[in-house]
Amino acid sequence: MGGRVVAAMALLAVLLGVWRRVPVYDAFVRGARAGLRTAASIAPALLAVLPAVAALTASGATDALCALLAPALSALRLPEQAVPLMLLRPLSGAGALGMLEQVFSACGPDSRAGRVASVAAGANETLLYVLALYMGASGARRSRYAVPAALLAWAAACLAAGFVCP
Amino acid sequence: MNAVWAVLMACGCAAALFAGGGDALTQAATEAVALCVRMAGGFALFSGLMQIVEEAGALSALQRALRGPMKRLFPGVDPDGEAARAMSANLAANMLGLGNAATPMGLRAMELLGRECRGGAATDAMCTFMVLGAAGVQLFPASVVALRAAAGSADPADIVLPTLAATAFSAAVGVGACRALSRLWGD
Repeated sequence: MGGRVVAAMALLAVLLGVWRRVPVYDAFVRGARAGLRTAASIAPALLAVLPAVAALTASGATDALCALLAPALSALRLPEQAVPLMLLRPLSGAGALGMLEQVFSACGPDSRAGRVASVAAGANETLLYVLALYMGASGARRSRYAVPAALLAWAAACLAAGFVCP
Repeated sequence: MNAVWAVLMACGCAAALFAGGGDALTQAATEAVALCVRMAGGFALFSGLMQIVEEAGALSALQRALRGPMKRLFPGVDPDGEAARAMSANLAANMLGLGNAATPMGLRAMELLGRECRGGAATDAMCTFMVLGAAGVQLFPASVVALRAAAGSADPADIVLPTLAATAFSAAVGVGACRALSRLWGD
């Protein structure tokens, strides 16, 4: 299986582009430039989150918290290492990527914790940012049930992450 | 986020002060930049491929495919109106992972929908649209795959299908919650 998905996706993209007469090389370079810019733009946020998390981890505070939560989490089939990421994901996208890297370096990207964390990071969006931005644009003052409904969707994604990774 | 970071940083530094481990701070800062560099290549590769797909007309094709579901999701919104077009453009761009294109469309849609709201309370359509945006339905989580590749995963993309299942479930729960809560909530 290794790498086939990526190869198939790339092949599909290039064939589709050639078929629709897209200047494929120029388009790729444009997209790659935007991608590099995005990667660079999340660096400061990672720089903010990773040291804070590293200091907490080094002190053993996160281990203590995880040990406290462990019984409830195992009932939900969620690995405890993935939980800090799940909590941070609605607040900060770059922060969640930093947490994901922490899980990868602690457990490995192909461990169960690594996979659950990957799914939880990919299946959620930065809820706080989206709601704040959209409410601001709409001119409405009360968001009614948007926040509880979005939180339910977030909880559903986290629980589903534990379920889809055997 | 400011409050969360302040608590994280304060607790982390206080713990480091007493238990030792202040070196971890600078090490992690170095690691943060190295991490960005390591994942930038994979991320840029996917962005480049997505740009080809987008210029081949995938966005408008997805928008057309969304027409049917849109009518069911937003019963109060004219399916041919400007607001519906902005909403479907936003959802399609989000699905392809084109965040930079999605955000202006989403803001435009909210602005148009906001004209119809009475007394400053968000309408059902606005709530459902916000919840879909917050649930983040994405077909290919490029940043996660790039990070997995950078961390030396044997198969970085093998979480794509599970992620799709989880995000679809989450969006369905979000929409269901909107339906149920709109009856209970009032204004």
